[in-house]
Amino acid sequence: MSRARPGGSHRLGARPGEVIDRSRTIEFRWNGVTHTAHPGDTIASALAAAGVRVFARSYKYHRPRGLLTADIFDPGAILQVGDEPNVRAAHRLVEAGMDVRSQNTWPSLRYDVKAVNQLAGRFLATGFYYKTFIKPERLWPTYEKVLRRFVHAGEVSPDSEQPYFDKRYAHPDVLVAGGGPAGMAAAVAAARAGASVMLVEQEHQLGGHLRWGDAEDLRCRDELVAAVEAESNIEVLTDSVVAARYDDNWLAVVQRGLPHVAERLVKARAGTLVVAAGLIERPYVFAGNDLPGVMLSTAVRRLLNLYAVRPGSRAVVFTANPEGDAAAADLRAAGVDVVEVDARHGRTVVRATGRGGVEAVELSDGSRIEADLLVTAVGWTAPTSLLNMSGANPGYRPDAARFVPDPAATPAAVIAVGGIAGDGTRDELVAHADAAGREAAARALALAASRAGSADTRDPVAVPQLGLHHHPELFFALPTGGFVDMSEDVSAKDILTAVKEGYDSSELVKRYTTATMGPAQGKLETVNTVALVAHATGKTIAETGATTWRPMYTPITLGALAGRKFEPVRHSPMQPWHTSHKAAPLIAGQWIRPEHYGDPVAEVRNVRQNVGIIDVTPIGKLDLQGPDVAKLLNLLYVNKWSQLGIGRVRYGVMCAEDGVVLDDGVTGRLAENHYLMSTTSSGAGTVWEWAENWLQTEHPEWQVHVTPVTTAYASINVAGPKSRELLARLTDVDLDNAAFGYMNVRTGTIAGVADCVLWRIGFTGELSYELHVPASYGLHVWETLMATGADLGIAPFGVEAQRILRLEKGHLIVGQDTDGLTKAYSAGLDWAVKLDKPDFVGKPELAWQAARGEHPKLVGLRPLDTSVVPEEAAQIISDGGYIVGRITSSRLSPTLGRPICLGQVDAHLADPGTRLTVRLRNGSDTTVEVTAEHAHFDPEGERQRV
Amino acid sequence: MSRNGQRTPRYSAWSLVRHGLGAGGEWGRAFRHHTPRQAYDVVIIGGGVHGLATAHYLAENHGITNIAVLEKSYIGSGGSGRNTAILRSNYLTPEGVRFYDRSVKLYEHLAADLNFNVMFSQRGHMTLAHNDSSLRTMHWRAEVNKLQGVDSSVIDPGEIKKLVPYMDVSASTRYPILGALYHPPGGIIRHDAVVWGYARSADAHGVHIHQKTEVVGIDVTSNRVTGVRTADGRRISAPVVVNCTAGWSTLISDMVGVDMPVQTFPLQAAVTEPVKPFLDTVVVSGTLHTYVSQTDRGELVFGASVDPFASYSTRGSLDFVEGLAGHVLELMPALSKMRLLRQWAGLCDMTPDYSPIMGLTPVEGFFVDVGWGTYGFKAGPVSGEAMAACIAHGKPPEIIAAFGLDRFEEGRLVGEKGAAAVGH
Repeated sequence: MSRARPGGSHRLGARPGEVIDRSRTIEFRWNGVTHTAHPGDTIASALAAAGVRVFARSYKYHRPRGLLTADIFDPGAILQVGDEPNVRAAHRLVEAGMDVRSQNTWPSLRYDVKAVNQLAGRFLATGFYYKTFIKPERLWPTYEKVLRRFVHAGEVSPDSEQPYFDKRYAHPDVLVAGGGPAGMAAAVAAARAGASVMLVEQEHQLGGHLRWGDAEDLRCRDELVAAVEAESNIEVLTDSVVAARYDDNWLAVVQRGLPHVAERLVKARAGTLVVAAGLIERPYVFAGNDLPGVMLSTAVRRLLNLYAVRPGSRAVVFTANPEGDAAAADLRAAGVDVVEVDARHGRTVVRATGRGGVEAVELSDGSRIEADLLVTAVGWTAPTSLLNMSGANPGYRPDAARFVPDPAATPAAVIAVGGIAGDGTRDELVAHADAAGREAAARALALAASRAGSADTRDPVAVPQLGLHHHPELFFALPTGGFVDMSEDVSAKDILTAVKEGYDSSELVKRYTTATMGPAQGKLETVNTVALVAHATGKTIAETGATTWRPMYTPITLGALAGRKFEPVRHSPMQPWHTSHKAAPLIAGQWIRPEHYGDPVAEVRNVRQNVGIIDVTPIGKLDLQGPDVAKLLNLLYVNKWSQLGIGRVRYGVMCAEDGVVLDDGVTGRLAENHYLMSTTSSGAGTVWEWAENWLQTEHPEWQVHVTPVTTAYASINVAGPKSRELLARLTDVDLDNAAFGYMNVRTGTIAGVADCVLWRIGFTGELSYELHVPASYGLHVWETLMATGADLGIAPFGVEAQRILRLEKGHLIVGQDTDGLTKAYSAGLDWAVKLDKPDFVGKPELAWQAARGEHPKLVGLRPLDTSVVPEEAAQIISDGGYIVGRITSSRLSPTLGRPICLGQVDAHLADPGTRLTVRLRNGSDTTVEVTAEHAHFDPEGERQRV
Repeated sequence: MSRNGQRTPRYSAWSLVRHGLGAGGEWGRAFRHHTPRQAYDVVIIGGGVHGLATAHYLAENHGITNIAVLEKSYIGSGGSGRNTAILRSNYLTPEGVRFYDRSVKLYEHLAADLNFNVMFSQRGHMTLAHNDSSLRTMHWRAEVNKLQGVDSSVIDPGEIKKLVPYMDVSASTRYPILGALYHPPGGIIRHDAVVWGYARSADAHGVHIHQKTEVVGIDVTSNRVTGVRTADGRRISAPVVVNCTAGWSTLISDMVGVDMPVQTFPLQAAVTEPVKPFLDTVVVSGTLHTYVSQTDRGELVFGASVDPFASYSTRGSLDFVEGLAGHVLELMPALSKMRLLRQWAGLCDMTPDYSPIMGLTPVEGFFVDVGWGTYGFKAGPVSGEAMAACIAHGKPPEIIAAFGLDRFEEGRLVGEKGAAAVGH
């Protein structure tokens, strides 16, 4: 393994504000070469200290790029770290052993073949791909493959390990987004006013710009940090970010740097949000502005003062403000030769030139200065994203050359402090934040009090209004040179071209050129882009306006958003028994249930001959109570419910408003005003919502209480000719056919368990009882049934056997034999639909359907070739090859020894005896005959009524 | 190219080279600003793909060019710029298949027809089945499509893994993947480019596109449309006014007193930072309420089903991105370190039968092309073509005959609910 050559160090002697631990040295790899760093170094600072200038190649033209902002938004320092793509290397701290690589370079960062695109650049102007590759059409897929190879990004690997992510809820009275001087002052003031405070800082330390300031700044930072630390009511989250703000101050905070947790999503409901995001330095657009060695003044001061890295040896500082002057002073103090170009005296930079980095700088007066570092300090952008997400739309102020929020237009629960709110001296900003922090606390505590029922009697805190200082509108040197969006490789000329071609609003320019769509989300690019659009259209920046700021403030990982996996599995209380008896699992929505216990055909035969039990706990169950239940049933079901006697059970079908079958099941009347409704397993949630929706929106006057009790009961169907004999041994309910006939319900004790519900119904076509027992006794009842029925030949059966049994009986399954288009008459439910009822859901549609009569019908189908079982979903076709129906259910019947089917066919083909052609999946055809009944076995239903 | 007296430079590789060498002069505006005329033959409300395609086909197929397209924001600012740009034709009903297949066919040649590369990428479309009942539905759709000449088939987990190596097809996941309906002609397209391509072509035909022009009223005399009024105080006369809006389609129709059975729901979407392309096909999972594709820029684009409540909000929610990320990682666990860049929402006008409302209305001269739910973008070209024919001939062509407003009075709802409900 190669090592970085020693000697090229740009590391300075100790600095008063440095954040590195010089007592320790760690090693990491950069493009295969081992480098050293001190704990506290970012990847970028460690590489810069070693003299690395070029970190990446740009998107389109593969131009070499270096550090620009030296912070998390730096478009030039987005690198691959191990299997993690797009790591912000000017933010991420070095860890020992890290494998850091440049992205999008081949064969190497230094010799990048695609850099030939720079030569072809004049042909790759903005939107070039919309203008070419049009013909011949057949070549577009090939062109596209090439375009995709040019994607400028890191890589994910298919076997990338998934680290541990988790989530947390927080309810701070006040959440402060930003831990600079204003954020810290606001947090301290809020905490002292009695509020619980969460202080979130994106960087690794509190302090904001004070960290790279002068001695007075550092003293102020120390004081504020000490004040924060003294407040037990403040929770500080560093290396964390408020990524988004949603309605009612619902905040997504991503917390990093925790032990054993890659990232944690803190979901915070804050009383008041204090936005203290500070200001971001705005890059200047001029020819060569993307050369390595062109940096913002804040980048230079970060490198010098936080990391003790000398960013160059001979610098031009283009400055329009005191921060630029300070950068010049800092550079001089670090032994760098500095030439200042003062914009306040009318001098500007028009061009930087050099190969692979800055070598010379050309000024507006025509002079040329040799330098390896060009520092720009032209002004500031307010990262107002969180305010925009709050509904406040900051307006552009030409005097301040940035977007500024209007406190009056900002929601009461959101307060802006610090540079984002206005200008002032450090002390003025801290004083403003102090008042704002007290007011934030007061509002949050008043909100909490009002929720507790107390009146808001507080006196509002007088928050001084911050003024605005004059800042020059320095956006670009000439509108023809340089890059506006470094991560997207969009030049100023591209913006002008787009406007000339008709894309003349901020939104269209964004979409056409992709400017501002990159990883920094426009924080560095938007204002310059808007300024260029305004220049090109002759409008003002205020008229032109910015594009919409959407979440996220800073991109956050899918892992953090997902957190731990919570995809619960539903099992019945009998699951331990199923598992120990080798049940094959079937995934049915949220439930996992036994498909069979080894031999579904034997299970079918045993139900027909002896007695079997099946776990039907997933069947949806709703407990309905109140005097108006019958009205609800009459509304939701297509059949009649007014006459259902106590102790009776009835099958019902529900349709949606369009007449399409929604669900089916039986409902029994347990007492005068007490019913138990069952639904399909998959429809349990839907029907509950359906019932509540009709009750709450259409009939709030009805007295019905709906309680979902699906999992309150364990449900067991006992089926087979010997089921009565078995149950009689275990229950106090009189099972005699005269006392408890078909389609009746009783309550009683089973196997010593009280409050069980017994339904005598017959999905399988055999004498059967469906037992609903309190869930905690489900396993006990199941095991007791198995033990008690041993001499009767009892055996469990699973879903597959049940499907065969019901198909032999011709019972439809909603969602299998019906679909999203099947109305009640098409499902063969003519007998159930009572159009003479005053009203029910779906009635108009069903009335129309009945009147027309020309609808597909569900029919029983018998394959003539008994060796062929048509696949479910096989299509029934006409002689001309048109689709005239399909097989909806199909099995080989163990009872009849031949294939049996249900299918939907066009109306004119539904007469019994009609022969139809089925196209099988292998392309061959077979013939089926329409049967007289849906039921293939015991159509009269004698077996279930005994 | 010179159409309608306007010089519109043709786009081609050769013209790019000429411009690159400085020999091409100005590209010219793809769409121009005009002072609104006092009267047009046709006023189209809504500058999205539907409105602009209608204008394009009116001019191209029927020679009607005295048209204004009025857009309250910028062109493509609504659903056309907010959808996830997925195209497919593997529907269930013969009507649905015929309609969307025509749309895909138009899309296939749209770049050449409009001389604007819309980057239709037929990279395949895959709908996953996570349980036996959805696998049965996939077989159903495959069998129907096969008989209707649409390329789609059911593939097994091994084949899925070959097409999408990042997919977790193991049996140990919470919702194991049992198979998928694979539809090779499906894919994605550059949605903004479709809008711009239609706008450029319409403009070249002499159509006036007025952006930032909001319609605040529609004048009706004796049950006949006479014109519209705009927010800047203008009155524009026109015997034909077409409502091609979404999200606000009911409010526009209310202006002439035509009641629309439409409810508006937000649909959310999100996009990640780019990574090197690894996902060629569009992946849809109905069970996990998620669809994923990777753009030519390397971003993953995610969408979901509509929000469960009616709203005009186009803001995203945290709940949505949390669930989305969880489901995406359920499918492709290796993506946990990818970062979500941006989220947004669009508005979907849902009708009771999940089918659009197209054609004439009880008010003479007032046409509608609305109610496009979550499938409007897929149908852009065919809708424009059919609406243009409808306006030119005064009656709906056969391909949209079933989508008339009167079906709600007559109880002839269209049966695409089952098909539309299966996802994107």
